[in-house]
Amino acid sequence: MPGKTLLLSQRPGGLATFNIQDGFNEALLRGLQLGFLSDADYRSILQCENLADVKLNLQETDYGAYVGDVAQISPSIVREKALEKLVNEFNLLRANANQPLSQFLEFIRYDYMIDNVMLILKATLNNPNVDVASLIKQTHPLGQFEESVFNSICAFENSPKGYAELYQSVLIDTPIGPYFARFLQEESAKVSQDASYVQNLLEELPTTKLESSLRKLYLEDFLEFCQGLGGDTATIMTDVIKARADATAINITLNSFGTMLNDPNLRESERKPLYPSMGFLYPEGTDKLSQVGDEMELAAVLRTYQVYRGIFDKHQRGDKTIDDAFYEREVQLNEMAWEGQFHYAAYYSYVRLKEQEIRNLVWICECIVQRQKDRASDHFVPVFSREASYRKR
Amino acid sequence: MSSSDRIDGVFATRMNQQTYKAKVKGAEKGYELLKKKADALKARFRALLKEIRDAKMALAEEMPAAFLGLASAMYLNEKFRDNVAYEVKDASVRVFASEDNVAGVRLPVFQENFIESQGDRFGLTQGGQTIEQAKKKFQSLILKLVKLASLQTSFVTLDEALKVTNRRVNALEFVVIPRMTATVKYIAKELDEMEREEFFRLKKVVAMSDDGPPPEDVDTKEAETALPGFDESNEDDVIF
Repeated sequence: MPGKTLLLSQRPGGLATFNIQDGFNEALLRGLQLGFLSDADYRSILQCENLADVKLNLQETDYGAYVGDVAQISPSIVREKALEKLVNEFNLLRANANQPLSQFLEFIRYDYMIDNVMLILKATLNNPNVDVASLIKQTHPLGQFEESVFNSICAFENSPKGYAELYQSVLIDTPIGPYFARFLQEESAKVSQDASYVQNLLEELPTTKLESSLRKLYLEDFLEFCQGLGGDTATIMTDVIKARADATAINITLNSFGTMLNDPNLRESERKPLYPSMGFLYPEGTDKLSQVGDEMELAAVLRTYQVYRGIFDKHQRGDKTIDDAFYEREVQLNEMAWEGQFHYAAYYSYVRLKEQEIRNLVWICECIVQRQKDRASDHFVPVFSREASYRKR
Repeated sequence: MSSSDRIDGVFATRMNQQTYKAKVKGAEKGYELLKKKADALKARFRALLKEIRDAKMALAEEMPAAFLGLASAMYLNEKFRDNVAYEVKDASVRVFASEDNVAGVRLPVFQENFIESQGDRFGLTQGGQTIEQAKKKFQSLILKLVKLASLQTSFVTLDEALKVTNRRVNALEFVVIPRMTATVKYIAKELDEMEREEFFRLKKVVAMSDDGPPPEDVDTKEAETALPGFDESNEDDVIF
């Protein structure tokens, strides 16, 4: 398997040795698995007429401690409290983790750190006097930096010197610093100019390019790390990360129709670099995808990939949006990670599945508040449910 | 105080009669015109009311769909709302205020100007299509909202104007015109009386010049030349 060759002591143990380092932690995780909302919980929440009833129902579940003392309840407060619960549970797992599990958990956090840094950059670019405190409230709690880092990002000036400073003093110390470094290297290699031009790049580049490049580099790094860990972790995480990369590629292609990116002249130069360089679709699939101009051609390319053909069919028939279909697939893959033991993939899947649960909960709350409960099934993927559609054969 | 009291302090002269007759005429003409204006305003008022009702019904249908669309988009891509807030620079819907003229009343009207946004799509890697749909729904919603706001401001202004006009119409009909007509009547009456007096005086003068002055009363003449204070008939009255 490709990837850094870790020493035996740096890898998670196998059947006989996993529990030495990570047994207690995995037990914690398996215990937390019981905290997912069940079908019965969702059913009783769906029967509520207002959010006060929802709060009562939630108090019977694991969310009780978090929702119990809330004065005013609204969908955004439900999201806030649910995220708080997730962060507390994650921190519990993280605090009790040894290497390399702790590094694995950090990798999960990098995803949210990228989100947060992009948010702050965009906010500051648009309005130099943005209120830092309110901005921090909008960041994802799993991707927290020290507050000083956030403040420094907000304080940077929108000038070439400011960008250079921001990068060299602030971003490079964060765990995602290396991704910035590599991104700037790649960009400057393309243009092959001197160092000062590199520093102006951040200024001229649209933030979508920056964000997708950071995400790509992160996923590639994560994949390499997982494959270095070996065993079941590598097998399952490879599948999961590849599926995520494929979803990104298909989504970019589909959403680019009708925009500048779909222009035949720009497809090679602008759209193709946004595709991740991994996944089941890589490299032949992404090559073909980069030439696609409309939904018919996209359907034709995906015909050879059975899973994605099924997903795209659902989108074309209008049963679900393509994003809902991808969410379903993600839940299905992540649930399978729990089938085996003695690997780390369950941690990643725990975070993703919890996020799905939070999404479900917030969506149902919105439907209740807007009095459109009949639309609740539009966007709902149950987690660990016996009634999931893919379990019916 | 009845509103048909005439105006005080008006001298009964011919000139005044002319003046006040003209005033009555003016008031009546004004009354006709004002009534026409009130009718025009009333008709427009009713039409506006119907338009507002229709606009609100249309809005009531669209709003839930739009907000649910937003919730859908948030489900599929939790970050897009913040991204929109921080990346959008220009408003694509702008509102201009202009005036509409109804029977002389200037009503404020809002005109919407919609410029299709040129920026990148949001949610490129996730949720793009749902975000686009939500965006379109909100675009149509905001245009309807601007229309409704315009109708409602016109409505309020028109309401005020209609009230004022109605008040003026009523004032003319029940206060000003009756008073004016009463004044004119009074002047005519006074002038008539003065004429009759004049006529009578004339007759008397003519009769005098024909018959000579009337015979004088001697007693009265003697009473006039006697000294005051020595009036014997008054002596009993002086009491100290």
